[in-house]
Amino acid sequence: MTDVMWAALAITAAGTFAMRAIPLVWMQRHLSQAQHDSNDSVDGLPTWLGVMGPCVVAALAGSSMVPATQTATTWLATLIGVIVTLLVWYTKRSMGLPILAGVGAFGLTMGWNL
Amino acid sequence: MTASVPQSHLQRPFWVGIRDAIPLLGGYVPVAISFGMIATQAGFSLWETVFISTVIYAGASQFLFVAMVASGAPLWLVVTMTLLINARHLVYGPNIAPWLPRNRTGFWLMHGLTDQIFALALSRLPQIPEQQRQDWFSGAMLLAWFSWVAGSAAGVLSGAQLITYWPLLADVLPFALPALFLVLLLPKLNSWIWFITLGSTLLSALLLQVFGWVNSAIPLAALLGVLLFYAVNTLQLNRRNSHD
Repeated sequence: MTDVMWAALAITAAGTFAMRAIPLVWMQRHLSQAQHDSNDSVDGLPTWLGVMGPCVVAALAGSSMVPATQTATTWLATLIGVIVTLLVWYTKRSMGLPILAGVGAFGLTMGWNL
Repeated sequence: MTASVPQSHLQRPFWVGIRDAIPLLGGYVPVAISFGMIATQAGFSLWETVFISTVIYAGASQFLFVAMVASGAPLWLVVTMTLLINARHLVYGPNIAPWLPRNRTGFWLMHGLTDQIFALALSRLPQIPEQQRQDWFSGAMLLAWFSWVAGSAAGVLSGAQLITYWPLLADVLPFALPALFLVLLLPKLNSWIWFITLGSTLLSALLLQVFGWVNSAIPLAALLGVLLFYAVNTLQLNRRNSHD
């Protein structure tokens, strides 16, 4: 890589880190100020931000469900994987087992249809 | 759990964080291997690829960075685009701010605040005792970061062979990510307003992605979800007021 490329890499890395770290510090300062008044830090979080968090997770879920190669098989495997994940979570209420079962069901459907 | 209760090795918050982050590997490693392969094809060396994965540590940005550099795009445009694609990260820190202590270590740990670690932290941090949260976050974040960097290196060194020997594995393991996001989302579906909001957000993101809005699917769908939440909330309030 040339020197200019290294500089571009350094700016990109610093910018990405800043986007992750600075909003945290800003909110912690805001909450610390709010804590003086209410003694409850979570109440200081703006409502829209508290709604935005779960919405981003839902958007990540929807976006990541789209198979890299979209065929009838990959969509069927995704559907079965999602259903199995939901069912196992409903019965076990844990994190690891539903994921394992979902991946297993997805893989078996993919293998079955190949 | 109190401080006086002795903890076994694997019960320490750092190791609990590592254990909780294990499902992420299914999604991280295959994508990291792909990144290593693409970076090699774009002319980057092993150490350059590893360095990019270590310091940027953002999947979509890295793919865009190497693709644009390889195509000879102006570097100011490379920087702008790679930062824009990560703009959604701006809302992650504030969302987990109430759950993390305010100190210098916590600040540096934010390097590892990726989409997946954010989703995991948002769900798990409130369940963890206050004094253990930073250690938990360190464990989860370090495992994910290490797997990303190691996967990138593996992609450079033997990506083609790995894909040839285990083609199905590369297709199957990434399903761990949607499964993880689903599992993190499900406990939140405890009321109609959240069910409608999060269900619609998920479907919107899926449809946007299918119709080619790859880079804007997540922020657009999340924004739509927030608007929908307020719309449903207002409707509920109006209905209650009219009943009163």
